[in-house]
Amino acid sequence: MDWSLIWKAAIALAGFGALLGAILAIASKRFHVEVDPRVEEVLDALPGSNCGACGLPGCEPAAEAIVRGEAAVTVCKAGGPDVAAEVARIMGVEVDSTVPLVAHIHCRGGATLSPIRAVYQGVNSCRAAEIAMGGGKACPYGCLCLEDCATVCPVNAITFDEDCVRRVNVKKCTGCGLCADVCPRDLIEMVPAPATVFVRCKCQYTGKKALSVCKVACIGCKRCKKVCSEDAIHVDNGFATIDYEKCTNCGECAMACPTDSIQIWVVDDEHPEGGEFVVPEGKKQRRGGTGDDSGETTAAIEIASPGETPE
Amino acid sequence: MNEAWRYFLLFFGATLVANILLIRFIALCPFFGVSGSLETSLGMSISVVFVMVMATSVSWVAWNYILEPLGVGEFLYIPAFILIIASLVQFVEMVIKKTSQPLYRAMGIYLPLITTNCAVLAAATESVKPGFFTKLNIAYHYGFIESVVYTLGVAVGFSIVLIIFAAMRERLDLAPVPKFFRGIPIAFITAALFSLAFMGFAGMFGL
Repeated sequence: MDWSLIWKAAIALAGFGALLGAILAIASKRFHVEVDPRVEEVLDALPGSNCGACGLPGCEPAAEAIVRGEAAVTVCKAGGPDVAAEVARIMGVEVDSTVPLVAHIHCRGGATLSPIRAVYQGVNSCRAAEIAMGGGKACPYGCLCLEDCATVCPVNAITFDEDCVRRVNVKKCTGCGLCADVCPRDLIEMVPAPATVFVRCKCQYTGKKALSVCKVACIGCKRCKKVCSEDAIHVDNGFATIDYEKCTNCGECAMACPTDSIQIWVVDDEHPEGGEFVVPEGKKQRRGGTGDDSGETTAAIEIASPGETPE
Repeated sequence: MNEAWRYFLLFFGATLVANILLIRFIALCPFFGVSGSLETSLGMSISVVFVMVMATSVSWVAWNYILEPLGVGEFLYIPAFILIIASLVQFVEMVIKKTSQPLYRAMGIYLPLITTNCAVLAAATESVKPGFFTKLNIAYHYGFIESVVYTLGVAVGFSIVLIIFAAMRERLDLAPVPKFFRGIPIAFITAALFSLAFMGFAGMFGL
């Protein structure tokens, strides 16, 4: 056996290692880039999922922007108040306690409550369906049920069942707002997490026309506006909206709503998914009332007095 | 066979006839890993072309002036080339970070991935120990220019396939694929069909 070969191999490889190591060592000095040590710390504090909800390309650019002072310490929506507090500690600034946001979908009409006018067979995406004559739903303002929001959600907080009943798991939702951006009909709003009263409709039709496209549409009757003691409800463009800065979650509007399009979100231990929408207790069920989203009703819809409908 | 024609054959053979991804199935990890979107595959492609050509140039010099004269190349080329490629990638990353921030942002995150990309090692190895184009009568000793042309061909072949495949996968995301085939399974099937299509290049120009 040729022992000199082993020596040569050892010397060659050791030589390579030493040479390349020396080059790298010199290069790391020569090409050293000064990095603010806080960037590393902030980056460690951020979730690191690169969700992009802050509007920056990822967690590292976000950390750089925070350290440069170009972004607020609360810029990470996905991390919530814990991350904001940690980032603020690193940056040595005070943080206002921000209210976490959760996504809410302003449409209640599933497959059984809201009829379809056509069968949509195009690309399986809400945005594509919206372009293609508005998809198959009769209601031109309602959820298209093609689950773009569920697809884009980084934490799988939005689920659809086979009847297209949507559910946002508020325990999983990080408030990143990606779903709100992707919805072609602008149905998703980021609401403060403590809010429990929701208008579950954005249909601009009023009165019977609204009901002809969806059994649980907001008909624009303004009863909720009248019973609201805080002036938190406004009815514009045919549907009610709640101003959550004023809303006290009293639920009077849900009591007054004739079509059950205003409902109360109940969070308790019976609902591990984060909660469920209910009609307030003691509310007189109208004919064909639809307390749950499955819409198990055959009764004809009839509105007692749509006289207060505008126009 | 004149020089230019031979270089063309070398390049063409490395790019399409013996495509590194679809015919030889080397570097399948980045092929499926970064082909999710067109943008990342473009960044990866540019980085691969850049690193592969540099790595091969250095490896060729190391082989011809150090390993081969010492007679240890036959069994030492893998550790030696891995060492060279890894250090080179680190070095290039440092230089780019210092000199050009835009370039670093475009290529930076892919460079560490390429450190252990087997396509780079394969190209470096073949440029000194070519086993594929025996018909070209340059079986064992590529000159420096030849090895660079060959490597450029490999890298361009990698890029073309990666970019086409990423574009296909972006369309597949919107296609009505059965639920259990979504994502990687349909990508595998597509890659297999794609590979079959590339076999049509076999035998072109006698390669």
